[in-house]
Amino acid sequence: MSTHDHKARVPLAFLLPGARAEVDALDDAIDPTQREQIIAYGLAPGRPLIVLQQHPMTLVMIDEVELALEDSVARLVWVTRK
Amino acid sequence: MTASAIALVGNPNVGKSVLFHRLTGAYVNVSNYPGTTVEVARATARFDAAVDLIDTPGVLTLPARSDDERATMRALLHEPLRAVIQVGDAKNLRRTLTLTALLAELGVPAVLALNMHDEAGARGVTVDAQALSSALGIPVIPTVATGGEGMAQLTRSLADARAMLPLLHYDTDTEAAISDLANRISLHAPHPRLNARGLAILYLGQDSEVEAWLSEAAGENGADLVSARAAAQAKGVLPAALAHERGEAASTLTSRVTARTEQASPLLAHRIGQLIIHRFWAWPILLGVLFALYEFVGVFGAGTLVGLMENDLFGNILNPVVTAFVREHIGVVWMADLLVGEYGLWTMGMTYALALILPIVTTFFIIFGLLEDSGYFARLSVLANRLFKLIGLNGRAVLPMVLGLGCVTMSTLTTRILHSPRERLITIFLMALAIPCSAQLGVVLGLLGGISFTATLIWAASMVGVLLLAGFLAAKIIPGRRIPLVTEMPPIRLPLFGNVAKKTVGRIKWYLIEVIPLFLLGTLIMFLLNQFGALPAIIRAGEPLVSGWLGLPPEASAAFVMGFLRRDFGATGLFALSHQLSPIQAVVGMVTITLFVPCIASVMMIVKEQGWKIAAAMIAFIVPFAFLIGGLLNHLLRAVWL
Repeated sequence: MSTHDHKARVPLAFLLPGARAEVDALDDAIDPTQREQIIAYGLAPGRPLIVLQQHPMTLVMIDEVELALEDSVARLVWVTRK
Repeated sequence: MTASAIALVGNPNVGKSVLFHRLTGAYVNVSNYPGTTVEVARATARFDAAVDLIDTPGVLTLPARSDDERATMRALLHEPLRAVIQVGDAKNLRRTLTLTALLAELGVPAVLALNMHDEAGARGVTVDAQALSSALGIPVIPTVATGGEGMAQLTRSLADARAMLPLLHYDTDTEAAISDLANRISLHAPHPRLNARGLAILYLGQDSEVEAWLSEAAGENGADLVSARAAAQAKGVLPAALAHERGEAASTLTSRVTARTEQASPLLAHRIGQLIIHRFWAWPILLGVLFALYEFVGVFGAGTLVGLMENDLFGNILNPVVTAFVREHIGVVWMADLLVGEYGLWTMGMTYALALILPIVTTFFIIFGLLEDSGYFARLSVLANRLFKLIGLNGRAVLPMVLGLGCVTMSTLTTRILHSPRERLITIFLMALAIPCSAQLGVVLGLLGGISFTATLIWAASMVGVLLLAGFLAAKIIPGRRIPLVTEMPPIRLPLFGNVAKKTVGRIKWYLIEVIPLFLLGTLIMFLLNQFGALPAIIRAGEPLVSGWLGLPPEASAAFVMGFLRRDFGATGLFALSHQLSPIQAVVGMVTITLFVPCIASVMMIVKEQGWKIAAAMIAFIVPFAFLIGGLLNHLLRAVWL
């Protein structure tokens, strides 16, 4: 750990394939039912993920789960780069 | 219903149905995508004839939010359950335990089958089943249901099924609200098997099945529960927070009992999975899959096999023998005609069903089963998402639609995996309009493939065009918001021969049971219409529409009459006319009959899922619309093709 402890929260949709990040928060703009489902899939605050690809959809790996998110949702998932 | 039942409960795509087959011998459809099971299935357990085993649809979240999740909740509430076998995916323990946390609150005696532990091992994940078992206080059995591993231990462990130790306590305010509600539930609506505490949590989470059960059981005291919940919500006790805390507890326990070794390189299955949805490679792969489908079903099934069956077996051998036998033994001409005449039950009904349809559906179901089990179909939802955005849906709707290519009746039921009533309505409507079922698809491919690839392409482009146009309009008319796609990709797997074979045989059986009576009924109607001279009248009456507007030979009217019973029966009727049809007539005829009313069975299914009014409205739109599009296409093709 160095001087970069305070990393900005960025939308998941902005990360390049191969990037590692940790989920910070799910934006309130996400539909409540969908939010429950996203959390159930494992994309919950505090969880580490790896971005696999961004087109045609955002694809992330959380533990052994591959999760595909439409851009409009990936834009609302706030993450911190690791 | 027997006195004692055991339910298989778990997240989607963890292998509940395979386990169900192992434990009962009864086969329910098994595939590699979430949502294969949308209704509960029931069979007697092999290990104890007094026990009913119940297979339930997978639940992503409880409280239940989608129709298939509600079916599982209903089973928990209403079935006389002695125990629950929670089936979990060993490589995804966190999600498994999130559900375990809730089952623990409900107090049902349980055992945990930690399935697919071979796949977990291949990914460097090992779970300490012993440690997990002592943490939960129930038996935890590692299993590989597809290989039958762990079945004996699982069956034995059922004797030790017991209520689990709690996985978590919520924060103080939430706990106060839960116990207040639980006390009221115990007082007004105690459940014979489930703990009031678990019901209180689900009720706070607005589970509609629990709401319905409690409101019925509590009677006039229901208002007390409603006001207690409102008070809790006013204090900030929210369903999302409860789910989040269960997830946290599951995470903590997962890290304690799981060991991970970093893999040197990603699995081949991962790489293939990503290639299938790669921004560039996805499209050549999709074309390759479609081409294989066309070659196997259209050319081999509808061409070679149908040729062998229709001309060689039925035309040259069976039908002459049967006809000669009937004519010899039945003196009454009309009775002999009924069996072996132009519209004979044998020469038309059975010949259509067995010589034309059977080879087509068989080849289709084989390739379909392979694609299902490989994990390809689930990835189609990612590829289709952008296109489906145009029609107010998300890519998840591609699954019922692709299944509709197998059988629209069954896939109408599969729309239960969609998350909103609006998505279900639009999808069911589009399937009824523009998705041909396997039998029809085979007939179309067989007829048009025999003409040219261009003809097939025009037909396919017309179908996609109509699907998008009708979907676009439906999305504008039907109120509600589109839900963006978030979905899990199931692992890419090598399909198991045994499972594909079993599925294909099961589907063919089901198909023939549905098809043969309707084909015979259809033939009988045609025979009677012909016998009483009504058919020529119908052909005359339909002439302006069929010949004038669609540009088809007048006899094609008969095919549309047949189409009312089943679209594929109608298409087969056109197929039989094919030597009289020009390429344009063939394309126009096939486009019109594909759009034309879906079969009776699927209309009944639409009625069951959406009600009479919606079903009637759909038919009232679809029939004139099919002729409108067919006619427009006829005039367009004549203008540009000739």
